[in-house]
Amino acid sequence: MIAKEKLKDYAHKLMFDMDDEEYQTLQEEFEIILKQMDVISKIPNISEVNPMTFPFRVDEERFLREDEIGDYLTVGEVLANSKHQVNDQVKVPKVVEE
Amino acid sequence: MIEELREKLDKDEVTSEELFNEALKKAHQYQEEYNSFVTIMDQYKIKKRADSILTGIPYALKDNFSTSGILTTASSNILKDYVPVYDATVYKKLKQSGAVLVGKTVLDELAMGGTGTTAATGIVRNPWDKERLIGGSSAGSAAAVALGIVPFAIGSDTGDSIRKPASYGGVVGYKPTYGRISRYGLFAFASSLDHVGVFTRSVRDAAIVTDIIKGQDSHDMTSLKDDNKTYLKEVDNDIKGRKLFYIKEICNLDNYKDSNDKELIETLTRFNELLDKCRDQGFIIEEVSIDKQLLEAIYPTYMTISCAEATSNNANLTGIQFGPRGQGNSIDEIIFDARTKGFSELIKRRFILGSYILQKENQEKLYLNACRIRRLIVDKITELFKEYDGMILPASGSGAPKFDDSSEKLSDRYLILENHMAIGNFGGFPSITIPYCFVNNMPVGVNITGRIMEDDVVLNIANKIEELTGLKGIKAGDMHV
Amino acid sequence: MYKAVIGLEVHCELDTNSKNFSASPNTFTEIPNINVSTVDLGLPGILPYPNKEAVKKALKTAMALHCTNPDEVVFDRKNYFYPDLPKGYQITQVTKPMGINGYLDILVNGEKKRVLIHQLHLEEDTASLDHFNNYSLIDYNRSGIPLIEIVTEPCIENADQAVTFLEDLRDVFLFLGVSEARSNYGQMRCDVNISVMKDTDKELGTKVEMKNINAFTNVRAAIEYEIKRQTGLLESGGKVVQETRRIAEDGKTYSMREKVDAVDYKYFVEPNIPPVKLSDEFYQKLMEEIPELKLERYEKYINEYHLSEYDVGVLSSKKDISDYFEEVLSYGSDIELTVNFVTSAILSTIKKLEIDIKDLFITPKMLSGIVDKVKNKDISLDHGKKILYQAIEQKIDPNEIIKKQNLHQINDKDQLLNLICEVMDENKEQVRQYIEDGNTYVYNFFIGKVMQNSNRQANPNVSLEIIKEELERRKNSESK
Repeated sequence: MIAKEKLKDYAHKLMFDMDDEEYQTLQEEFEIILKQMDVISKIPNISEVNPMTFPFRVDEERFLREDEIGDYLTVGEVLANSKHQVNDQVKVPKVVEE
Repeated sequence: MIEELREKLDKDEVTSEELFNEALKKAHQYQEEYNSFVTIMDQYKIKKRADSILTGIPYALKDNFSTSGILTTASSNILKDYVPVYDATVYKKLKQSGAVLVGKTVLDELAMGGTGTTAATGIVRNPWDKERLIGGSSAGSAAAVALGIVPFAIGSDTGDSIRKPASYGGVVGYKPTYGRISRYGLFAFASSLDHVGVFTRSVRDAAIVTDIIKGQDSHDMTSLKDDNKTYLKEVDNDIKGRKLFYIKEICNLDNYKDSNDKELIETLTRFNELLDKCRDQGFIIEEVSIDKQLLEAIYPTYMTISCAEATSNNANLTGIQFGPRGQGNSIDEIIFDARTKGFSELIKRRFILGSYILQKENQEKLYLNACRIRRLIVDKITELFKEYDGMILPASGSGAPKFDDSSEKLSDRYLILENHMAIGNFGGFPSITIPYCFVNNMPVGVNITGRIMEDDVVLNIANKIEELTGLKGIKAGDMHV
Repeated sequence: MYKAVIGLEVHCELDTNSKNFSASPNTFTEIPNINVSTVDLGLPGILPYPNKEAVKKALKTAMALHCTNPDEVVFDRKNYFYPDLPKGYQITQVTKPMGINGYLDILVNGEKKRVLIHQLHLEEDTASLDHFNNYSLIDYNRSGIPLIEIVTEPCIENADQAVTFLEDLRDVFLFLGVSEARSNYGQMRCDVNISVMKDTDKELGTKVEMKNINAFTNVRAAIEYEIKRQTGLLESGGKVVQETRRIAEDGKTYSMREKVDAVDYKYFVEPNIPPVKLSDEFYQKLMEEIPELKLERYEKYINEYHLSEYDVGVLSSKKDISDYFEEVLSYGSDIELTVNFVTSAILSTIKKLEIDIKDLFITPKMLSGIVDKVKNKDISLDHGKKILYQAIEQKIDPNEIIKKQNLHQINDKDQLLNLICEVMDENKEQVRQYIEDGNTYVYNFFIGKVMQNSNRQANPNVSLEIIKEELERRKNSESK
C-alpha cells in the first residue's frame, strides 16, 4: 500500500491538498486501480510493442503550420479573466526568482 | 426531430423564436428535477442571413466548450466565474449555421467521470427514472435531448462520455472519427482520446448535425481534411452484404452462466434478437473471439492514459490568468489555495493517479505499457476491420443504474462489458450508440463502431439498424406531458 | 594543477513571423500583452499547432552544427508549475530532439577547438515576469516564442573557449538567418555549468550552475570568477557545494540556492501533436539552404583565395558582406581587385551612410562590371572608384556613367602620342629642362598635363612610357 505521506507529497506537487479522510479513500482506491493496472504488465511481450500516443498516423501535408500571423487577442481579452492587474499586466504576489 | 422542425419552419408553421421559447420553457420546467443545465440562455440570438438545415433550430452545448461571453464552467468550481473570450470551433460553426443556443449543459466535473453525479452544480437525473443516473460525462446534454428540450446537443467523448449516457438516456449518441470535428475550444480532458460528438433522437439527425460541424480547422492540427461527403445523403444506402462482428467474450450468454443478473441476461438476449433482425435485413454478422486478457486491459489502459493526460491538461487551472483567485501571501500559496478549493475530491484523486503514472519510476510500467496495450487493441480491431465493416456490441449490460449502485469494479462485467467503448477512443474509430430495447423500463443502447474515416458507413449501418428497433425518436419527455 | 570543466546550455529565440505553436506575432515589444493568443495564454480548450518555419530553422541549425537529425518530429511536455508558464507545462523535446551528437569548430587564439554538441531541441519561451517591491507582473508577449536550446558536452576548458564558442554560435545563427540573437533583448541566453578538478583526477568535480546570463562579458566574468573561487576552495582543503549561483554587477558570483532533489518533470509525448516522419526530400531541401558558415569561408579565403589575414577577417565575419563579396566573384571578377573594392570603397561607404550592404545602390553585379573594366584596363582603378562613388551618390548605374562621361581609358599608343606631342609643343620650357638639364621631374608634369587634356582617360602607365620615349627622341634629334 502506498503510504499516505507519499500521496500527500504527490498532491502537494500538484499544488492542492485534501483532508485526511480523502487521503484514506485515495489510498484504498489506489489499491484497486493498481491491481487493475497489473493486468497491463501481464500481457506477454508487452515491452516489445511501440507505445501508441495518438489514435492513428497522419499524413505529412497537414503536419506543419505555415508561418503566418493569424488571430490573436486584444489586451482587454488577455486580461478579461484575471482578477488583479497593473499596467495591462497580470499582478501576482512577488515571485522569488529561481 | 430536426427535419420535422425544418419543415415547420420552412412552412412558417412555427418561428425559430417560438421554438427557442418553447425549449427555454421546458429547460426551466425540468431544471429543478433533472438539472441538465449550468446556464440557460435568456436571450434569443440567431445569426442573420444564416441559411442551413439547422437555421432556427434550438440546441444545447456541453459546458466544456468555450463560448465567448457566456459562462463556461466545465462544471467545476475552479472555473465557476470563467467567461471565455473566444469561441470553440464547433460553437462557431453552429452559430454560423443559424442554430440557436438554449443553454450550456452539466457534465461530470471537467468531463472526468461517467455518472453525471460529480458536477459542481449537482447531480443530473435520468429522465426515464429520477432514481437513476443518466451517465456521463455528457450528462446534461443526454438528459436535455432525452427530455425533448432540444432536438440535438453537443457533447464530448473521451472513453464513452457520449455513447454511454446516450444508452442510458434512450437517445442517439455519436462520436465521429478522431479529427473529423475540431476540438479547438473543447476543454481538454485527455487530448489523444477526446472527441466532439452529438446527441440526437435519430441517426439522420446525427448525420445532419455532423455534416454542419465537421471539417478541417486551422486551430486544430489533428482535424482531418474534409471528406467532402454529406452524411445525410449516405444514411439510406443499401447495406446488403455489410459485415459486422461482435465479440464473443462480451456478448455470449455462456460467459455469464453463473450470473443471476436478470437485467444483464435480458439485455444480451435482446441483443441477440436484434442481431437476428439485422441478418434478416441483409447484414452478415459473425462472432469473433478476442484474447480476454486484452479486453480486461481496456479499462485500466483507459484510466492510465486519460488520468495521465488530464493531470497535465488541467495544470493551467491555477486561478492566475482566469478562474477564482486563491488566497495567500505567495504565488505558491494562491495557486495552492485556488486548486484545493476549486477541484472536488474525485478530480484530485484522478490527478494524483495521473501524476503517479507519469512519475519517472512508474512511467515505463504504467504509462508506456498502457500506450502499448492501446496499440495492441487498436491493431487487433483494425485487423478485424479488414474483413468487417463494423463492430456491434451492447453499449451497456443493462439500463441506467440507480444512484446507490455499487457494482464490483473488478468484475468481468465491469471491466469489459461496461467499458469496451473506449476502443473507439483508443483508435479514433467512428462510433455510435442508438437505443435498441427497454430492460426493466429503462432504455439500453447498441453500439456500432466502424473503420476510421468511414463515418458515412457507420451512420448508414446505424440508420438501417435504427429502422429495426422501432425506437427512433423516443423521448422521456413524452412521459411527463 | 587544477583544470575547469565547463558545459553550456544556450537558449536562442528563433526569428519567425508567428509563434512556435500559435499564430500570434513573434515580435519584440515593450508594450505588454499585445502579442498574445488564446494558446499563449493557456486558456481552456486551446491546441498547439507547430510552426513549419520554426521546425525548419531548428533542424537547419542542428544540421549546421553537424548533428544527427531525428527520423520524425516529436514534441514532449515538461510539466511544472510556475507563473510564467500559463499552461502548466512547456512543450519541448526530449524523446527525439532536432539534433544530437554534433559539434562546432572554433578558433581560439589561432588554435582550432572542437566543441561537442550534446543536443539541440526546439521548445517555447515562457512569459516574462517583472518584479517589484511586493508584487510581480506577468507579460505574456514572450509566451510561445520559438526557442532552441543547445546543450554542449562538458568539454570547454576556460572562459576564452566559452566566449568564443558563444560568439561563433551566434555567427552560426546569423549566417543561417535563424535568429538575430540579440542578447540585450534576451534573445540569446546562456546557462553555465562549471566544475574544477585536479589534472590527475578521473572524476569530475562538483558542479555549480549559473542560469540565464545574457551578456557574453558576464559569461566570461562568471567563469573566471568561479574557476578562481572553486580552485581556491579546493586548494585550501575546502569543498565545492552543488548549487545554483548568479553573477552580480560586481563581477562576483553569489549563491542562490543549494541543489535540492532533481525535479521530476513527468515528461510525456505531447498528445496534440502527432509524431510525423520527415521525408528525405524535406531534409535534402533544408540541406541545400544551409550556406557556408564563417569558419568555412574563413578557411576558403585563406587557402583558396590567398587573402591577407586582415582582408579575410573583414570579409568573412559578416554574412551579408561575405555574400556580397562572393557574388561579385561569382560573375568571374578578379579576386584581388574585388577585395580592394569591397574592403575599401564599399565598406567605407556603407559605414558612412550607416546602411546594410544589401541596401547599397551598387549591386554585386554592378560592382563586378566596374571591376572587370579596371581589370581590362578600360578604366583606371582611380576612375573605377570615382565612378563607384558617383553611382552611389546619384543612384545611377555605373555603366551609364562610364558611357556618359566617355571615361574609357585611352590605351592606343598613336592616340596617346598625339596627345603627348601636343602637350610638349605647348610646354617647350619643360622639354628644354629635360634636354639640357636631364631633369626627370618633368615626367610627372607631362603626365599631369596629358591626364588633364585627356579628361583623365589616358592610361597613365602607357603614357609615361611614351613621354619618356618622346622626350628622348626630341633630345636626340636636337643634338643631331
